[in-house]
Amino acid sequence: MNRIDVKELIDLENATQSKTVFWDQTIYEQELENIFGRCWLFLTHESLIPEFGDFVTSKMAEDQVIVARQQDNSIKAFINSCTHRGNQVCHADSGNARSFTCNYHGWVFGTDGSLVNVPLEERCYHGNLDKSEHGLPQVRVEIFRGFVFGCFDDDAPSLEDYLGDFAWYLDTFMVGAGGGAELLGPPLKSILDCNWKVPVENFIGDAYHVGWTHAAALNVIGGELAGLAGNQADMPYDDLGLQFTTRHGHGFGVIHNAGTAIHKERAGYDKFMAETTPAVIENLGEERGQLYNGHWNTSIFPNTSMLYGTNTFKTWHPLGPHKIEVWTWTLVHKNMDDDTKRSIQREAIRSFGTAGTLESDDGENMMTCTHSNRGHIARKGRMNSSMGLQYEGPHPNYPGIVGSSFIGETSYRGFYRFWAEIMAADNWDDIRKNDQHWDDIWPHKNFWADRGAA
Amino acid sequence: MTSSATNSTSLLPVSMELHHEISQFYYLESRTLQERRYSDWLEQFVAEDIHYWMPVYELRLTRDKRPEPTPDDAAIFNDDYGELKQRVDRMNTGQVWMEDPPSRIRYMISNIEVYQSDKADEFKVYCNLAVYRHRRQLEITQHLLGREDILRKTDSGLRIARRKLNIDARVTQDKNLYFFA
Repeated sequence: MNRIDVKELIDLENATQSKTVFWDQTIYEQELENIFGRCWLFLTHESLIPEFGDFVTSKMAEDQVIVARQQDNSIKAFINSCTHRGNQVCHADSGNARSFTCNYHGWVFGTDGSLVNVPLEERCYHGNLDKSEHGLPQVRVEIFRGFVFGCFDDDAPSLEDYLGDFAWYLDTFMVGAGGGAELLGPPLKSILDCNWKVPVENFIGDAYHVGWTHAAALNVIGGELAGLAGNQADMPYDDLGLQFTTRHGHGFGVIHNAGTAIHKERAGYDKFMAETTPAVIENLGEERGQLYNGHWNTSIFPNTSMLYGTNTFKTWHPLGPHKIEVWTWTLVHKNMDDDTKRSIQREAIRSFGTAGTLESDDGENMMTCTHSNRGHIARKGRMNSSMGLQYEGPHPNYPGIVGSSFIGETSYRGFYRFWAEIMAADNWDDIRKNDQHWDDIWPHKNFWADRGAA
Repeated sequence: MTSSATNSTSLLPVSMELHHEISQFYYLESRTLQERRYSDWLEQFVAEDIHYWMPVYELRLTRDKRPEPTPDDAAIFNDDYGELKQRVDRMNTGQVWMEDPPSRIRYMISNIEVYQSDKADEFKVYCNLAVYRHRRQLEITQHLLGREDILRKTDSGLRIARRKLNIDARVTQDKNLYFFA
């Protein structure tokens, strides 16, 4: 079943990766099977389909799916491809429907994906078509704090177990002061000619690029992060933030007290944060009270990312090994007033939308990190993610593995550790066998204890 | 994507001279942008009360009667003058690495329709726009847009008071849309 040598691709000890992981078709096809076929993939937020019959079309890797609100208020997702001849059933981005009718021969599917009507059924199928066997294939759907995910693998853990310790972190704002978070749509969509992992790793842990890639934008935006511009400032990086990685490759880096820094107009946002922070501390404790006011660059394995604070929320849908479709929503706290939500949406899209002042800096890097590997010799080389190696370990106050500086590559290493694990595994049972040993690659078990004592 | 103003029978036509003046204004504006003189563009073409807007249009079924997007909804551009200036200032920092060496952008403008608005000094103008961007060695991208402007006649010439950009592609076939159109 495994056609590739994962150990050769990913060197966990030295934190290097073969450049072919961004290029090879064989690797990509195994990713579709082992990763996108097995993991929980983000579909939508339940606030975007509040009423019975509300639907959005979404993607799970290259599979098209319809996600629809049911009469009993549950949410179902099913493959957007007719069970007769495979035609796409729904071409709208969103809407409200009592049924989905295929354009080709007029087969009609219910909001739950079941086949409810077939033209000329009695006369031409002579009673030989079992409609109950021809519903649109169902996707497993689970919801975490309003965020709707789908999974193709019945053997996968529950969404909550899949998020695992990362749920503890997400609760910082997905529970927060009690109101939680939601997304504003519709998503912006664009094509980027890069491997899907390039933006995922960038969002999961790359605070290093911020000062250089985004120097121009930081200079004109000003604010708390302007000091990063051009890497000019002499800053105590170890005191400014942390990096985190957890069991299934999810991770993030936080810059403390910089949550809203990228937003120029933020009076309403800052006020909301100040007013809700005491309740977050009371609900969730001091650590998450501090994280609540930080700026996070975050990825949920495999292909969903967000910048909490700047409040952009993205899914990177792969389209082959060298191309992705980028979908961008805006993340807001549900209990904010509408004006503040709208202001955040404007600011989030101004920075990380399709014409974003910061987004526009990233695209070319992501593209050429991929396409340089067209070079036969270039892709024989290796990539390095060793920054901060050994300055990390289990922490007394935070779950997972914690790196000592927000500019580090702890969460890169965590991402590729799980990538290697799931690419080599035959199934989820194989993966579950490592549950007690997944963090063995981080040998400094006393890193944080020693640091505290020093 | 229709607006009530598209029903042009209710709008008053303008003189050939004014139509010509506005066409020339657009061509000069395009050349200013093509030459990457973004500060000149702001100073010489843009009114200080501009709303510069590129909404996101979802693909919806014809029967879907939800309202058209407003400036309160998700939009690729939703800028006032200060925000446009920030975009220009960014380009002028000399630190936008992806624009060094610079890309080349060319604009094709057609279907220019000019109508007198309710205000004596303001005109409603529709046009079509093709934007071609060549980057690096091999990259060529193109974007087709419909543009709806309110142009205002001032003592220092015409100024863009409102600009709505209707981009035809649902999925942008480009790494970004960081250009002015």
